[in-house]
Parts: sequence; structure tokens; C-alpha cells
Amino acid sequence: MIDRLTAALGRSRADYTEIRVERTWSTAVTFRGRRLESATASEDQGGFVRALSAGGGWGVASFTSLDRLEAMVARAVELSRAVRVTPPIRLADVAPHQADAILDLDGDVRGIPIAEKKRLLEAYNGELLAVSDRVVDTVATYRDEVSEYWYVNSDGTALHELRPEVTLSGTAVARRNGTIEKGLESIGLRRGWSSVQDKAAGFRQAAERAVQLLDAPMVTGGAYPVILDPELAGVFIHEAFGHLSEADFVYENPQAREMMTLGRRFGKPALNVGDNGAAPGLRGTLPFDDEGTPTQDTPLIKAGILVGRLHSRETAATMGERATGNARAISFRHPPIVRMTNTYIANGQGSFDDLIRDVKLGVYACGAFGGQTLLENFSFTAAYGRMIRDGHLAELVKDVVLAGNLFQTLDRIDHIAGDFRWNQMGGGCGKGGQAPLPVTEGAPHVRIEEALVGGDVPAGSA
Amino acid sequence: MIERLLERARRRADGGADALWRQVERTSVAFEWGRLKAAGVAEEAGVNVRVRHRGRVGVAGTTAVAGTAGGATDDVGAQHAAPLLDRALASAALGEELDLAFPAQAPLPAMATFFDRAANASLDDLIGIGRSLLERLEREGCRVNVTIERETAETRVANSAGAAGAYRSTAIGISAELWRIAGDDVLAIGDAVEGADLPGDDAVSALVGSVNARFEHALRVVAPPQGALPVIFTPLGLSALMLPVTQALSGKAVLQGISPLAARIGEQVFDTSFSLTDDALRAGRAASRPVDDECVPSRTTCLVERGVVRRFVYDLETSARARTQSTGHGQRTIFGKPVPGYTNIVIGEGGGGRGDGGDELGGGLLRDVKDGLLVDELIGVGQGNVIGGAFSHPVALAYRVERGAISGRVKDAAVAGNAYHLWKRVGGFGTDARWAGARYTPSVLLDGVSVARR
Repeated sequence: MIDRLTAALGRSRADYTEIRVERTWSTAVTFRGRRLESATASEDQGGFVRALSAGGGWGVASFTSLDRLEAMVARAVELSRAVRVTPPIRLADVAPHQADAILDLDGDVRGIPIAEKKRLLEAYNGELLAVSDRVVDTVATYRDEVSEYWYVNSDGTALHELRPEVTLSGTAVARRNGTIEKGLESIGLRRGWSSVQDKAAGFRQAAERAVQLLDAPMVTGGAYPVILDPELAGVFIHEAFGHLSEADFVYENPQAREMMTLGRRFGKPALNVGDNGAAPGLRGTLPFDDEGTPTQDTPLIKAGILVGRLHSRETAATMGERATGNARAISFRHPPIVRMTNTYIANGQGSFDDLIRDVKLGVYACGAFGGQTLLENFSFTAAYGRMIRDGHLAELVKDVVLAGNLFQTLDRIDHIAGDFRWNQMGGGCGKGGQAPLPVTEGAPHVRIEEALVGGDVPAGSA
Repeated sequence: MIERLLERARRRADGGADALWRQVERTSVAFEWGRLKAAGVAEEAGVNVRVRHRGRVGVAGTTAVAGTAGGATDDVGAQHAAPLLDRALASAALGEELDLAFPAQAPLPAMATFFDRAANASLDDLIGIGRSLLERLEREGCRVNVTIERETAETRVANSAGAAGAYRSTAIGISAELWRIAGDDVLAIGDAVEGADLPGDDAVSALVGSVNARFEHALRVVAPPQGALPVIFTPLGLSALMLPVTQALSGKAVLQGISPLAARIGEQVFDTSFSLTDDALRAGRAASRPVDDECVPSRTTCLVERGVVRRFVYDLETSARARTQSTGHGQRTIFGKPVPGYTNIVIGEGGGGRGDGGDELGGGLLRDVKDGLLVDELIGVGQGNVIGGAFSHPVALAYRVERGAISGRVKDAAVAGNAYHLWKRVGGFGTDARWAGARYTPSVLLDGVSVARR
């Protein structure tokens, strides 16, 4: 395949051309309550060409029929020439790489019969249902894929990879009279069949949480010291800061560049943030991004100061910085755009107890049902919370929604514990119509001096 | 032809089969931060097949099909058909029993889904639309992003009961976003025009007018009000109020026992001025089609009539489980199984507003508000337990309304309420009905929405 792609490159009349081809085998199993909703196996294949001619814009072509490869290279070149761009698009230099990287398949999912995948999920779904007869509904999903990936560009890079992925998730819905609560377990790994065995405990805990929340009061809205557990802290740093550090937001927007000037203080000296696409064994990890740039650990905030950002080759060249290996595409249907990989708040010092010891009244916000940022404003829904009273964890509370202004909130992070962990969840990141992109987030426990907690919404029914 | 695939399927599956073949060609143009940056084409073809064997149903999909654009053929090819059917049968072997009946051929409504002007628009035509938008939206201190997409598609559905449908379709989407960053204040105002045909100058002007009107009012930032207040939700801002209702009207949610509207057919649940129709035959809309993705003829389906719940939307599987008829809402992609989905949702007093509100925000509802908000976009819609109706969201773009006029943009405010309570008494519908994504709706004035400052 590499030879065929290289030959097609040779016929391109553009100054720069790249070709990606992917062939993906996937299976998906879903249970809803006791019923199997679906169990399907799919095969997807296609290619992507991107060309850049002198003085031209990007010419892009994607296709599902590989017979069309040569024609689509010509089409991409033609489109690039049809778009005049001044000043011209430049690409940061990246040394060419040739690699045949087979990631650890860890039990190749393609060799496991779909019936066995169903049995595994049925068992985990059974764990959710068995917790209590208050668990009235569940949704459990298993999804795996192996993607064979080829990439060549006219700078001399040629890559061949096998990329595995497996995700498991379970939602338990508990109900008593009119009250409905959810508990969620989610696992996402760039690994295979072996890595999703023995996961029953997490499913049980999710269902137990849903049942416990039935008795939990809603959190009383207001401003509190808030401690984020590592999972929510990770989602927070991804959503509330990570997207701003993607250079495609700032590189051609002078006002945005000013807002994100390197050297600007974003937090207290305890705050260190980065994105590491090369961290071993994580879901956002790959040896190269989708422009053939090696992935790396990129510091974004050091001791509270903005020190870096995430780049594609184009954004790096425009800003006179180095490519960071963050140009990613979810599939051959899309061009690579600047994305995060494994984003983290680096480890601090001390324990969780040190964070809550001097909190008279606060909220411990745990897990994430979801989060959205519209640039400087964010909103996150925690899976559950515990009140903190006089330095100790107190009652379980529900409907913990954190909302605020990013700049103010980052600056109010005053204590970061030394209990860092990566959260290997399923789902993924969405941007520019490309979702879900496999990413990981990591953080220790993090304390925000004061944050607004909402949640006491009037209950109602139809 | 997918008929050949179905023939093969019929030989192996004792309960029949159906299939969808779709080929799409998309052309796109992107202006990034005020500059034309990229032009692209995408060609995609694939097939999704469903079989019923020994009473159980399975599906499989693939993009590995023989021949696509250029030699437009929908032949799946023997070498691809056999493994595809293997996978569908393996999927069926695991499934639960389902009394799924593939519908017989029925007359399909005659309708236009393919527009030559859209199909024949050249790359330069699309770039020209983008440039004119840029010129009309750019201003000092701001940057503009514009994307234009044109799609032509061919869809074929057929089943072993002899039903078949085929149609070609076009779709155009034009979206623009105006960005202004001043210090740490980020303002982004976007809008889009979508349809099956190339939009006329009036539609492009309306897009410009909509962005400009919301931008002008946003320059002045004022303090948000607080309390249980009248709030106008614009067509773009209405998602948090609509999502619980459309989720609850899905036959799938009803079957799962999570719809608050289940068992309330015939009841007055909403204000008498609230009606909701799904119209798969609406002229000029990209989602309109003569037949759904399961060979069921399309129609216009009234779901809520003057506040009374009339019916839910079903596909073949959910209707079989609920022992009712499909409403023609089967939607399927190349991968995965069909699910019930909406086409064009029309809201309002008996099916639509007058649509003559021009550029005035709120479509004439402002004058009824002494002190309140006009909400155009919220953050986090869709998070949490949506179908229950309760919502609580910070505003992304909202304006304070004082003494019948907009006094400025509010930041750091959140709105909360329960969609079902709020829809029980509608303060009024605006005269600004328009398409916002898949929804046709005017602005809506709702009273007693909880507004909080932060």
C-alpha cells in the first residue's frame, strides 16, 4: 500500500501533498435494560488527500473507493490551485520519518467472536441491574476497533500503523417515585480485548451511586470552596483551558493572540498544565499525528505562566513556533485540525486531606456527566458531590453544576494535591464536526478557592 | 443493484431483509479568520443491510462496495456481499426475537428533492457567496469565519417484501461566525442558512442582518436582572426548551419507559398555542424525502396539536415493539441499525408564524417585557437528565430587555426552569418564525424563568 501511495504522490503537481488511507474493523454491542439493543460489526475504509500549491489554499479530497485514489490526488491539486491565498500558507519543518508502528493490540479484538463480546457486556450490564431493584433501566455499550493506517507525504514521511481501541460504558438509571438518578461508568483504552476483563467493580459502583443519589439532597446553590476530584479536574482543564491553547484559535486572530500571549499569568505558581501525546499506554497516545509529526509532551502552563500551545505544521509556521504533533483527524473523512491528546494538570504536593482540612463549608465535586465551554465561560455537570463541613467529608449531594469564567477560575486554583492519575474514559472530544476523538485527561485533586455551584432547579414533571 | 444484495439475503435469511445504499458527493469551501483557506470534495458510498432470520434481526454496514462516483453504480459486488451478509446474520443470531414486518410497496409522494441550481453551482459560485458574506460582515476589530457546503446524494432503499424507493437530493449549508475579542471578553455570533436549493440573495441578506442585529446589541454589556422573570427565547436560543419535548415524543423513549409524555396521548399537556409537527414533505428542506430509510412513505405528522399530545414518532423496530405503525421516521446511516429520527420540526400556533419579523430580535415580543432577558444561546444544552425537563444553563449570548427594548448584552448569568412547566403557559409567539437547524420556530416569550446572576 505504501508503494501505491508513494507512486500516487509522485504524480501530484502540487508543492506539498499528503495521503492517508484507513481500513477499520469495528464491533459495537449495546444493552438497554435486560434487552440486547444491537450487536453489529462494520467495515469502513477510505482515503484522504491534501495538497498545497504555491500561492494556493488547501485542496482536500476524501473518498471511500480506493479505485479513485489517483483521480482524487489530481482533484485535490486542482482545488488547491483554484483557491488563491495571500500571504501564502507555510508549513513548519518536520524531519521526515519512516515507521512501521504496530501498537500493542493486547488481545486483537478481530479474533474474538461477537458472541463473546456480547457475553462480556451482558455480565457487566447484569452487575448494574443486580445492585438494587431501584435500578429500573441501564444502557451498557461495548465498542472496539482496529484501524490499519497508512500515511505518506511529499516531504518523505511514510507511516504504517495498527491502531486499536476499546471502550466500555454503563449507565444505571435508578428511580423512586418521581425521582430519577444516574450513575455512570466509562472506560476507554487504546488497547484490546485483554484490557476490558475484570471491570465489574466499576459497573457495580456506578449503579450503587445512582441508588444512593435517590436519597441525596440537591446541593444548595452558591459560592463555595470547591475541590475537584481527578476526573472532573481533568475534564475541567481539557474544556476550560485546553481548547484555548489550540493554536488554530489564535494564529490568525490578532485579538486572540493578544489574549493568549506567552508569558501571561493564568494561575498561581502551583499550576502546571501540559498535553502529552507520547505518554505511554493512553487513549490519546499515538507515535505520530495525522501530519506525520512525532507526538510529544508540550508544557502549556508552567508555575502559573502561559508557556506554550498546541500546533499543526501550519499554525506553528505562522506563529514562528515548532510543530507539536497535535494535528489530528478522527478519520479519513476529515482534514487534520489542532487537537489535544492527553491533557493534564501536573502533580502537586500533599494529600486530599490537606486540601479539605481548612475548608469550613465547601463542595467536593466528583466525576463528570458533561461539560461545555464557550471560550471564556464554562459549565460542568459533576456526577455527584459531597459537602465538606469543618474539614471533613459530609453528606452526598446531587445536581452539582459548576459554572464560571475560565480566567477567574484558573486563577483561583490555590492547592493541587500529589495524587495525580490519568482517567481512561470513553467518549471523546468534539471540535469542528469531528467527534469523538480519543483523548485522555489527567489530574490530581485540585482546590478552587471559590467557585459558583448551581443546581437547585425547581423539580417538575409534564 | 441493492436488489441483487437482497436476493442473496433472501436465500440466507428466512424472514427477509432490507437495505439502504447511499452515495454522497460533497463540495466545501472554508474561509478562516477572514481568508479563503481551503476547498474540498468528499465522495462516499456505502450500504447498510438488515436481515431477519429465525425471528431475530441483525444489521451490518460497509463502505467496501464496488464502484462509486464516476461510474455511479450501486452494485455491492459478490466479493463484498458475502462477508456483509455473514456479519448481518451473526448480528441476528445474537439478537432478541422481534416481530419485524418489512412493509409492502406503497405509493410515494411526488416531491422535489434535487435542485439543479444547487447541483450545478461551481466552486467559483460557492466562493463568490462566501466572499460577499465576508465583505458584508467584516469590521474593525473582528474576524469572520465562513463555511459553505454543497451536497448531492443518491439514496436507494428496498426490501424483500417488494418495496423500493430511490431519490436524488441536494443540500446547501452556509454558515458564518463573527468573532470579537476585546481583552478577556470573547464574543462570537453565528448563524446559518440551510436548504435543498441554492439560497437567493434575500436568504443571504437575512443571514447578514441576523448576525449584525445581534452584534450591534452586544457591544454594550449591562448587569443581568435576577429572579423569576419573563424571558424571550429566540429561534436559535430555544434548544433547552425543545430538547426535552422532542426526546419525550420519540417512540423509543416511550418504549423505554423514560418519556414523561408516555400514556398522555389525548391530554392537554402544553399551552393551547403550542403545536409541533414533523414535516418530511416540507418543500426546499434538505431533510425532506419521499420515503424514509426503511421503505415507509414520508408524510406530515402532527405530534402535538394545540397543546394536546397526539402521537409519537416510530421506526419499524420501535413500532413493532409498541404494536403500532411506523410513522415513517426510520433513519439509518451506513453503520448501525435504523433509529427513529425527526426530519423537519415545525413549531408554533397551528404550524408556523408569519415570518415577517425582519431583523428585529424577538419578533415583536420585546414590547411585552418590562424587565427580563432575551436568550439566543445557552451553554451546556443536552447535558444531564434532559428528558425530565429541568434545565439550568449559563448564557452564552443573551440580552437584557428593559421597558420593551434591549438595553445591552448580559454576561455571567444563568437561566433555569422546567420545560414542561414553562410550556404550559406561553406568553406569546413572535412574528420571526425561521429555520434554526432542523426546527422552524418563532421566538417564544415564557414567563417565570429563573434568572440568576453570578
